[in-house]
Amino acid sequence: MTTRYWEDFEVGEVREYGAKTVTREEVVAFARQFDPQPFHIDEDAAKATPLGGLIASGWHTGSMFMRMFADNLLAGSASLGAPSIDRLRWTKPVRPDDKLSVRTTVLSKSASKSRPEIGFVQNRHEVFNQDGDVVMWCEGPGMIRRRNPDATA
Amino acid sequence: MIYFEDLEVGVVRELGSKTITKEEILAFAKDYDPQPFHTDEAAADRSIFGGLIASGWHTASIMMRLIVDGAVERAAVLPSPGFDDLRWLKPVRPGDTLTVRGGCIEKTPSRSKPWLGSARIRTEMLNQDGDVVMSVHNIAIYRRRDTAEPGEEKDDG
Repeated sequence: MTTRYWEDFEVGEVREYGAKTVTREEVVAFARQFDPQPFHIDEDAAKATPLGGLIASGWHTGSMFMRMFADNLLAGSASLGAPSIDRLRWTKPVRPDDKLSVRTTVLSKSASKSRPEIGFVQNRHEVFNQDGDVVMWCEGPGMIRRRNPDATA
Repeated sequence: MIYFEDLEVGVVRELGSKTITKEEILAFAKDYDPQPFHTDEAAADRSIFGGLIASGWHTASIMMRLIVDGAVERAAVLPSPGFDDLRWLKPVRPGDTLTVRGGCIEKTPSRSKPWLGSARIRTEMLNQDGDVVMSVHNIAIYRRRDTAEPGEEKDDG
């Protein structure tokens, strides 16, 4: 695979990828470690809430998104990580057996002023379930290495 | 129980601590963020980070655990709708001990649901040197003590 550098990302480009089936075991295991609230770890307690059943921790959904993003987009690019997430919203519950996918849109690009070898790509990510509902979205920059650090942006 | 009315803007609390191990960093990254600087010590040494660092999602998830253990269990909150302005400011490395510091910076009663209110919680994670490694504005939805949800018995427990 040809590595994609900052120069190769185009504003407006859209990528759709990922097929992650959420399992009950994974929902409970993640939540036991990081978010042990009853509606994430206890099926009976979750059924008694307005949620009506077990839901994934939002941080688990974010982490599952990260895995799909890393496998499908970052793996082929000269990524240097991300400094921030400007905004993230959990818009629908994620439940066991849901099948998640992602749509990533490049919103804008900018060169780093202080570090000529780096550029920023501002992305909007939307995570969908099998019904086409957006369950989470977020916007934020990624840092990508530049192919031509000496070129003017 | 802590209700919306009980939140005091400007009061900052510190919550628990967690020491992160190399094994935990590698295990989380293998499952959720398999980039070389999170999963491969040798590759991480050669990267701009100069060594293995934790996935930002791992750091954020540890924040959530410290918040659940230190605060959520006693708070009348609903699942969070999200967060704003999350910044990973410094790398988190094996052996770092992380603590959470947080406080309400703004509270807004819900107009459409008078039994709820929304709060912005400015949350910081610090390492053992006192450096802020991550900051975020978490959004929390609290129940109100004085207004019961229609159709629900008010439980003041």
